[in-house]
Amino acid sequence: MKARTGYSTSLKQEFLKKWIKGIRIYSNFKKDMNILERKKAIKLSADLAIASTRNASTRWSRTLTANISKNETNKIFVEQIFSDSEVIKKEAPSRLMARSNRIASKKIWRRSHITQIKARKMGPYAVKARSIAKKLVKNRTKVLKSLVPGGENMDGISLIKETLDYIVSLRVQVDVMRRLASAAENSTRSL
Amino acid sequence: MQPGGRELEAMNINSLLNQEQSLQEMNNHQNGQPQMSSHFDPTSSHDDFLDQMMSSIPSSNSSFNWDVSSDAARADHALPSTLLSQFDDQSAQLVSKLRQHQISSGAAKALMLQQQLLLSRGLTGNGLRTPSGASGGESGLLQIPLNLTNGDHADVVDGSFQSTNPADDASVQGLFNGFTGTLGQTANQSQHFHHPQAQNFGASAVPGMNQPAASGSTGGGTPAQARQRVRARRGQATDPHSIAERLRRERIAERMKALQELVPNANKTDKASMLDEIIDYVKFLQLQVKVLSMSRLGGATAVAPLVADMSSERRSSNGTQTASSSNNNETMTVTENQVAKLMEEDMGTAMQYLQGKGLCLMPISLATAISAATCHSRNPLAATNNLNTSKNPLLSGEHGGPTSPSMSVLTVQSAAIGGNGAGEASVKDATSFSK
Repeated sequence: MKARTGYSTSLKQEFLKKWIKGIRIYSNFKKDMNILERKKAIKLSADLAIASTRNASTRWSRTLTANISKNETNKIFVEQIFSDSEVIKKEAPSRLMARSNRIASKKIWRRSHITQIKARKMGPYAVKARSIAKKLVKNRTKVLKSLVPGGENMDGISLIKETLDYIVSLRVQVDVMRRLASAAENSTRSL
Repeated sequence: MQPGGRELEAMNINSLLNQEQSLQEMNNHQNGQPQMSSHFDPTSSHDDFLDQMMSSIPSSNSSFNWDVSSDAARADHALPSTLLSQFDDQSAQLVSKLRQHQISSGAAKALMLQQQLLLSRGLTGNGLRTPSGASGGESGLLQIPLNLTNGDHADVVDGSFQSTNPADDASVQGLFNGFTGTLGQTANQSQHFHHPQAQNFGASAVPGMNQPAASGSTGGGTPAQARQRVRARRGQATDPHSIAERLRRERIAERMKALQELVPNANKTDKASMLDEIIDYVKFLQLQVKVLSMSRLGGATAVAPLVADMSSERRSSNGTQTASSSNNNETMTVTENQVAKLMEEDMGTAMQYLQGKGLCLMPISLATAISAATCHSRNPLAATNNLNTSKNPLLSGEHGGPTSPSMSVLTVQSAAIGGNGAGEASVKDATSFSK
């Protein structure tokens, strides 16, 4: 297991700093937002902050930042936040698609060939059970790919790796946000 | 070198022995390298010799004795001298055993056992380099078949065998280290005869026989290590496709194990169910982020637009939602809007409205406990009951009546409403699961 299971406090602090910075910039941008806009601002800055903690080393962080910057209004916002730090990269999906198509056709042939061989060896029922299991796994990986940002063109191994990293970051995000929210609530309650 | 008669056989044996002796001598001075090639030549022709050797060994016992004793004097093992006299018997025994093995061709199994034994004694690179008595000899012996077979097959590496690769430089040295083993010269011979049989492990014997000669002779200083080929485990396929697939599967399995530690409730061994848990967890976390982003930080204002936006956003972004759940969401949204509005004005009327709908308020901690106890469904939103951080009032409901037996739990954290003084944020998490 990589050294990220017990996510460190430094990670949390980094995220918090960036998040608050983003919120401040946004509120300077636009005073008197209504609830909706405020929520968007909070979520946006949170996502950007957590994505930037990875410094564009993981696919999901890059995709997340890219998706946010797609919106024009957000772009200015983003550039303001990250004026000092990282570069925002855009994905190049077209090349990947071509390669994956070629690989897919090869895989299809191999798969049919292998099922033939296996049917001869194991008997029809075992093959069917195995194919059902594979189908299940495949469907679920599809869903997972749709969940994790940027997971569309990744193969199984890297997908799981990305998911791992993404889950850790999400947990950090949720943890910090929750603490801040409860702190704010306590402060308002005491008032 | 075809032996004509018994004398010739004896002479051949003696020459062989002398060769081994000289090599051992050199080995004891850590100088075995240049002689290795010359030594390997007799190896290749050992099969030819084997029968003759067997038959002639009793005749040349005297010479054996002499060689053995001199060798024993030189070897640095703790073999008592009394054993030297028993070498004849031992050698005869070994030879007969060898014969039997040859006949029954169960040598592979015997050697496997032997190797297991040797492996269990701890095969390390150090052990191979330092010919320290029995262990060195045995590990040297162990290394021999491994390295020789490494040159043979392009197979998957066996984990235990892999440990020998780092010591490949000393492989041939180890070969000779093996000869300073406990059983002395004759035993060395029989061990030497064992080597070819060791190659019967997973493949044909004959090419295995020639290979060590080739690899030994070709590489004086670089034996089989030049080709990093791998061996398959017994009974497994060896073609590159399946190896690649196996590697891939192993990599995925190890990553899944890492994920298991992260994701709660991940004691499933099945890949599909693990993936399911992972998906649920990711969805849950993402939802939490969304919820928290609209919580108390926003301050105390109208809640309804928040809720409406939440549901619409979710529906638009989440194309995979089923019809039923989306319907639930819509009804929930409407209800929540109403309740939120009422809550702003007066808690009492809000409660009445809820009761009219068949819903009730309950503390979040209680709702969490209930949902954890009864959550069976695969619905990811069922897990979102963990969302609640404080003892905010929360809506939970039961669809009364005959239409739907399912229980839907609605967790609402409304934005700070002055009435009860608790800061809340409104959120819609509709979870429905069937009992």
